Amino acid sequence: MSEKADIKVLLVDDEETLLEYLSKRLLREGFTVKATFSGEEAVAVADENAFDVAVVDLKMPGMDGVETQKQLKKIQPYLQCIVLTGHGAIDTALESGRHEAFEYLLKPIEYDTLVGTIKKAYEQKTQVQNAKFREEVEDIYRSGRGARGIKKAIGKLRNIYGID
Amino acid sequence: MESTDHQQQPKEFPRELPESTLGPAAAGELLQCVLQNTNDLVFVTDADDIIVSVSKTAEEILGYEREKIRGQHPKELAGDSEEFERMTAVLFEEGTVNRSDFPFRHADGHLVYCDVSFVALKDAKGTSTGCVVIARDITEWKNFQEELIRVDRLAEVGRTVSGTVHEINNPLAVINEISGWMEVVVSDSEGLNEDDRADLKTSIAKLLEQASRCRNIARQMLGFVRDTGPSGDSFDLHELLKNSVSFIFPELKSKDVEVLFDLMEGPLQMHSEPRMLEQVFVNLLTNAIHAIDEKGDGAGSIQINTRLEETSVVISFVDNGTGIAPKDQKKIFELFYTTKPSGKGTGLGLPICRNIIHKLGGAIHVESAFWKGATFVVRIPLRR
Repeated sequence: MSEKADIKVLLVDDEETLLEYLSKRLLREGFTVKATFSGEEAVAVADENAFDVAVVDLKMPGMDGVETQKQLKKIQPYLQCIVLTGHGAIDTALESGRHEAFEYLLKPIEYDTLVGTIKKAYEQKTQVQNAKFREEVEDIYRSGRGARGIKKAIGKLRNIYGID
Repeated sequence: MESTDHQQQPKEFPRELPESTLGPAAAGELLQCVLQNTNDLVFVTDADDIIVSVSKTAEEILGYEREKIRGQHPKELAGDSEEFERMTAVLFEEGTVNRSDFPFRHADGHLVYCDVSFVALKDAKGTSTGCVVIARDITEWKNFQEELIRVDRLAEVGRTVSGTVHEINNPLAVINEISGWMEVVVSDSEGLNEDDRADLKTSIAKLLEQASRCRNIARQMLGFVRDTGPSGDSFDLHELLKNSVSFIFPELKSKDVEVLFDLMEGPLQMHSEPRMLEQVFVNLLTNAIHAIDEKGDGAGSIQINTRLEETSVVISFVDNGTGIAPKDQKKIFELFYTTKPSGKGTGLGLPICRNIIHKLGGAIHVESAFWKGATFVVRIPLRR
């Protein structure tokens, strides 16, 4: 299970019992999971901790899924969002957040589909992030700093991107 | 009689007995002819309120022979004598009175609701010479109205179903998730003996299976109650038929009824109203299941055939249920006619099916030999 051990998942859904059991299952499979029960709570948590993938329910009281997703992306640009939508709401969901979400899943979700999608979203996240990291590393090399300066700048980047 | 006379004396003139241009005999004959042939219930009373003339239709509506009605007081035929008194008072005051649903009493005791109008007759001196009562039987219309209210209530249920089904999906998802969790725990638990583990795993698998069944039902419900406004759509009839069958799959399974498809090869594209047709198909299939269940000898089957005839498609639903008695065959498409026990059938299903099919430019009929099953044949134009 080591391949999943470092995937950090943020769950956002107002259906608390559902999240409770979903978290338990994901934790047992080796994901790092944080369950939040509203968009507001999710944004507050994301301010403090880095996540790879967020699973966001579209329909929630208060801040809805589309807005939550936007806010989360603002804080953590490489975070991938999986949006859960009810039957019939998918068109609105697509319209309002087409370019934002990694994937839309129809509720009620199949556990295996969700796990598969979380893994794919994680891959996407690391790819995008690594590409950006390499780009910036190359920028640093081109900047003509000395070896020491380069090492220091890259160390800084590693911290920003969370790459070891 | 010039029209200007009407305008000058709008109230009085029509109720006066006009000087007839016909001789008395010819006038009498004309009146008899009218009374013999009108579709309405018509009484004419004399100055003593005794019925002197009555239309032939009264026999049908009231169940008495004309001779028995003549010589009676109209009050004796009224189903609500108090209301009749009130109407008479108004008639006396104003010369005319109307009621949109006044009850008469049929010879066998039941009430016949009529749209009635009473007009007092006077001679040239203004002396009352009796009155004319014209009544039209509205029993069917009244039943229809009651049924409309019932249908409207059902429609309301339909409208709320979609919200309800969405709500049901949430707890279903929770049940699903908890079952999934239990599955994981049971698989990994070290303190369980293997028999118990196997038993628990089977039980949880069944839970998951049932939850998934609920989800399918919910999904199909949503498909069925989706707005059925007339939009017109291109679709594959064969797929629609299969969807209709899967919609009632739970019932088919519980009643052990087998569905056999004998369809033309490949998809059958047509342009019509898929949602409405689905409603018809589900209705016919449900009826077939009931007929098979009522017969109760097992081995129930429904065969669905499709074939093309010129520019129409002909779909047959052949079941091996009870069949339909010849006396019922003509009536099953009539509104409110039902052969099901009271409370079970509304007498609405087939009339609505027929309405839909007619609306789509098609036709529906039944072929059946009693106790040998029934075949409903639906013909629909390929393009609307």
